[in-house]
Amino acid sequence: MNPFHFDSLIWHWPIAIYLFLAGISAGAICFAVLLKHFKLGKDAYKSSFVQAACLLAPLAVFAGLGILVLDLTKPFDFWKILVFYNPTSIMSVGVAVLMIYQVALFAWLACLFKEPISNWCDHRWPVVDRVLNVLTRHEPTVTGLLVILALSLGAYTGFLLSALTTYPMLNNPVLPILFLVSGISSGAAGTLLGGLLLKGNPDGKEVHFIHHIEIPLILFELVLIFTFFIGLIISGGQSQVAAFTALGQGFWGWIFWAGIILVGLTLPLAFNLFMTASSKRKLSYVAITASCSLLGVLLLRNFILYTGQMTVA
Amino acid sequence: MENKRRLFLKGACATAVGAVASTKFVAAQPETETIEADVNYALIHDETKCIGCEVCVDACRETNNVPEGVSRLEIVKTGPFGEYPEQYFRFSRKSCQHCDATPCVNVCPTGAAYKDPKTGIVSVDSWKCVGCMYCIAACPYQIRFINPVTKAADKCDFCKETRLKEGKQPACVTACPTKALVFGNLKDPDSEIVKVLKATPNYRSKTELGTRPKLFRIAAKEGEIVL
Ligand code: SF4
Ligand code: SF4
Ligand code: SF4
Repeated sequence: MNPFHFDSLIWHWPIAIYLFLAGISAGAICFAVLLKHFKLGKDAYKSSFVQAACLLAPLAVFAGLGILVLDLTKPFDFWKILVFYNPTSIMSVGVAVLMIYQVALFAWLACLFKEPISNWCDHRWPVVDRVLNVLTRHEPTVTGLLVILALSLGAYTGFLLSALTTYPMLNNPVLPILFLVSGISSGAAGTLLGGLLLKGNPDGKEVHFIHHIEIPLILFELVLIFTFFIGLIISGGQSQVAAFTALGQGFWGWIFWAGIILVGLTLPLAFNLFMTASSKRKLSYVAITASCSLLGVLLLRNFILYTGQMTVA
Repeated sequence: MENKRRLFLKGACATAVGAVASTKFVAAQPETETIEADVNYALIHDETKCIGCEVCVDACRETNNVPEGVSRLEIVKTGPFGEYPEQYFRFSRKSCQHCDATPCVNVCPTGAAYKDPKTGIVSVDSWKCVGCMYCIAACPYQIRFINPVTKAADKCDFCKETRLKEGKQPACVTACPTKALVFGNLKDPDSEIVKVLKATPNYRSKTELGTRPKLFRIAAKEGEIVL
């Protein structure tokens, strides 16, 4: 059996990338919100890390949607997904969430960048000021809505796969939470990496704040992965077969143990703990840690998608 | 700050309530689908009669214009079982089971995959289909495929658009030389299918998944016993 081609395989790697990008977008915007509310306040938009998150969130979601549309066998008919809805379809519900999410995202970004936008417009278009004022008046609602939509988006990618009764490994209630948590950690990593690229201070309070959240996040992710596979193994039957096929030897077994567990989770955890202990952070440390987490999450999406489709109920 | 935080919480709570309410609404939707129809088509494949000649496969291809490379129907051959002079094979039908509870219909984002409430036949509206392949992944019987000509999902529809329209039996049923296929209405107590089902022990595939398949099978007498 070739790891990338087998009979029961329906969804290929573009779907894994889409799942990855949706997770990053949701995670990045959660960190932008957290940084603004708990650390930076009104001046949040000046932080390179917040700017990175605010670039990443819409770009990742657009790229993800683009990949999704190109992956259809009839890409030019994609508008039919937006016009026809089926309430029992997780994909339909997800598309609706994605659409409202983008509206909330841009509304929140407008609130965040109110000052620079107003300055740039220089009161040339009074409409802009009026819209911005209305939005900032409702900022708490916009923020609450955005956070809930982001969390739904992160979990939805897991629900999308867990709705498939065909594949016992995917048809698993832990999957949405696992995808949500790993999505948030990829958002953290993306924010850090992007922030550094935008010349952010690797020892700034944003980095300290994100790293503090990342440690429990990684531990939680490990617990979830453990729960995921133990659950499969003790259910027996085809679920057990699926778990052993995935974790056993061969290409995907390597990806799991070396790529996801070692590079994606253990190394970032160790680096994080080390950096917390030795208070001063260097650029290279932060960048390597973030790259490891990002790679780990990307591999996790591919691993789950491919190995999940290997065993049929 | 205090006031802002309270507003934030209020906003969050309001949207949470909204989200919960809307999922309730979503969950309540499928109830509407319980209109009692007086036709519910089903099929029997009698494996004791099937000789694996695949005449059904060709008849289906011709009648429904199924392109090369894909098929609405396959006869899966297992075996040989037994010792040389007494060797035999087992033939089992792989095609849409026209599930009564349909995973493929539930997942389709556009409603292109649908179950006809009047006949219980599961089919695809190829115009509405965008080719996301969600239904193909969701069908536990793995019988859906993308039609290379229409680019839409495709599968057996009990010949709904061809033979049934002309008031005839499905092509595979008529073509079968050993009469191994029986097609009919489960709601009609006098139909042949109901009589056969009542008289003969039969089984269905993967019933544990709750799909309630309507492809009934009569097990070959000498089959492999799988543990
Ligand atoms: S067999 Fe597959 S395609 Fe046919 S109704 Fe059942 S789930 Fe749908
Ligand atoms: S491939 Fe077509 S029929 Fe199947 S779920 Fe997608 S849109 Fe619906
Ligand atoms: S019922 Fe019709 S569409 Fe279905 S397998 Fe038979 S010939 Fe093909």
